[in-house]
Amino acid sequence: MQIAILYGTETGNAEMLAEDIAAHLDDHDTSVTNLSDMDPADFTAGTLYLIVTSTYGDGELPASAKPFEEAMQAAGPDLSGIHFAVFGMGDSEYEETFNFGGKRIEELMKGAGATMLGARVTHDASGADMAEDLAFPWAEAVVAEAEPALAA
Amino acid sequence: MPSVAIIGSGPSGCYAAQALAKARPDVSITIFDALPVPYGLIRYGVAPDHQGTKAVIRQFERLFERQGVRFAGNVTLGRDVTLEALRDGFDAVVLATGLHDDLRLGIAGEDLPGVHGSGAVTRAWNGWPGAEAPAIGRRVVVIGNGNVAVDLVRLLAKTPEEMEGSDLVLPPGTGVQEITITGRSPAEAAKFDPVMLRELGKLTDCAISVQDVSSGEGKTVEALQALDGHAPEGARKRLTFRFGMTPARILGQTAVEGVEFTDGTVIPADTVVTAIGFDGARAACDAEGVVAPGLYATGWCRRGPRGTIPENRADAMAVAARIAADLPEGPGKPGFAPDCATGYDGWQRIDAAERTAAPEGRVRAKITTLAGLLALAKDGET
Ligand SMILES: Cc1cc2nc3c(=O)[nH]c(=O)nc-3n(C[C@H](O)[C@H](O)[C@H](O)COP(=O)(O)OP(=O)(O)OC[C@H]3O[C@@H](n4cnc5c(N)ncnc54)[C@H](O)[C@@H]3O)c2cc1C
Ligand SMILES: Cc1cc2nc3c(=O)[nH]c(=O)nc-3n(C[C@H](O)[C@H](O)[C@H](O)COP(=O)(O)O)c2cc1C
Repeated sequence: MQIAILYGTETGNAEMLAEDIAAHLDDHDTSVTNLSDMDPADFTAGTLYLIVTSTYGDGELPASAKPFEEAMQAAGPDLSGIHFAVFGMGDSEYEETFNFGGKRIEELMKGAGATMLGARVTHDASGADMAEDLAFPWAEAVVAEAEPALAA
Repeated sequence: MPSVAIIGSGPSGCYAAQALAKARPDVSITIFDALPVPYGLIRYGVAPDHQGTKAVIRQFERLFERQGVRFAGNVTLGRDVTLEALRDGFDAVVLATGLHDDLRLGIAGEDLPGVHGSGAVTRAWNGWPGAEAPAIGRRVVVIGNGNVAVDLVRLLAKTPEEMEGSDLVLPPGTGVQEITITGRSPAEAAKFDPVMLRELGKLTDCAISVQDVSSGEGKTVEALQALDGHAPEGARKRLTFRFGMTPARILGQTAVEGVEFTDGTVIPADTVVTAIGFDGARAACDAEGVVAPGLYATGWCRRGPRGTIPENRADAMAVAARIAADLPEGPGKPGFAPDCATGYDGWQRIDAAERTAAPEGRVRAKITTLAGLLALAKDGET
């Protein structure tokens, strides 16, 4: 099983976390890709997609994830058979739109027929937790859940 | 290995180091700063009640803690080291010194006691060493319609309880009764981030009215209209937005008494804060940030005082890519730091002391004198 970690970022927090997750899962075959470089046509069924994204503006996706959002809307790909999980990064100072970025990715992927593994986990930049302390257990659990389904 | 000196440890300098370390792990990087503490305006500009925004620091900690980037604090370019010495000692030098002077209105009365620039004010509130917090009276006029102006009015309007989780012990506006924020352009052309405006709707001790916003459309106007009439019970402060008002002169004999606008309106005030932007000497460079061979510029000192942290990141990444391509392979110049330099360990001692000193409900209590910072930064030196 391949693990593709995709990130959407503006100030680099999600990118650093994506790299940390890849390093943490070092006994797997992982790759780290900016969502700005992800073509929805490139999703493949044997790969587990771990998507890490922050939130900006009025509860929108960060700049690096915007082209992906547009491409998903324009292409309307059929992602049935694709497995993914979402880790959202946000800041509870933005109460009304807290972690809407992760929510948006979940909507886009599910809307295209993809299957989400685990629950969407969120990090709060104003909270006490380190992102990796939440993300590593999340990633391990998702990988364990995916293994029987995706092991080729 | 080739060496690179980055002057300035604000977001631009740190993101440049991050991108360079990634592209060229063979390069040795030293980040210089005039202060013994790193991170520039992330520490001294970004508002004390926006700790989430300051959290990008965690990325930069990794540069110094794991990626071998050296911090040389307490070194002022032009005073403790010359540009020539740096260019001789390093294979590449990057200027990331920001821009700090408050832009002036250029009107009569601007130098009266009680008139302050937003940079000076926010530096003082953020504990910049030696910056004295200006006296804030009861009636404050904030001139400017950008996000720094919103930071100012929010902090002036907040109660001590509303500073929970910040690194400012007491909010600066405890005696404030009346805050007026004015802008030259109409509401729909104001540069406010609508999300920052919406945050004002959470204020618990401040009523808000917005004048001259009946017309116009867009997210900023919508956010302003939503704020109009905000009236928490028993609110002791009042904030008024006024648009289309160009200041003509600041009134007063020995201290500020008010602001007169070109339409003849006078707003009485005992404190005026201008938040109309920043200024300073910019590096003369080309579109890729090249000043001269081996000398580069990034961030506010390259592009001017506009743009937030994400824009500085993009700029720093582009300049770093150019440097990575220009730098020679193989052995390079050894680099150096002058004797007065304090290290990252010095900052770690300061950081720990500030966190330990934090009172209940605050994340840190900043050390605000250079002597205090240097005592800790140099502690452990023989
Ligand atoms: C009040 C205020 C609030 C802000 N709030 C936000 C916000 O909430 N979100 C956001 O995204 N952006 C915010 N910004 C914008 C953000 O701070 C800037 O975009 C960014 O800090 C510019 O980065 P820089 O690295 O170019 O400059 P700076 O952050 O200014 O860093 C320059 C560094 O160079 C050092 N230096 C200067 N001269 C010398 C010298 N001669 N020798 C050695 N070192 C030197 C300084 O000490 C400083 O550490 C705010 C800005 C201000 C002023
Ligand atoms: C201008 C701005 C707007 C933001 N808007 C939101 C938001 O609406 N909701 C949220 O949960 N977080 C919001 N955030 C917080 C970021 O998502 C959070 O800081 C995250 O860690 C940034 O990750 P990144 O560096 O990968 O972009 C905002 C941050 C900034 C600076």
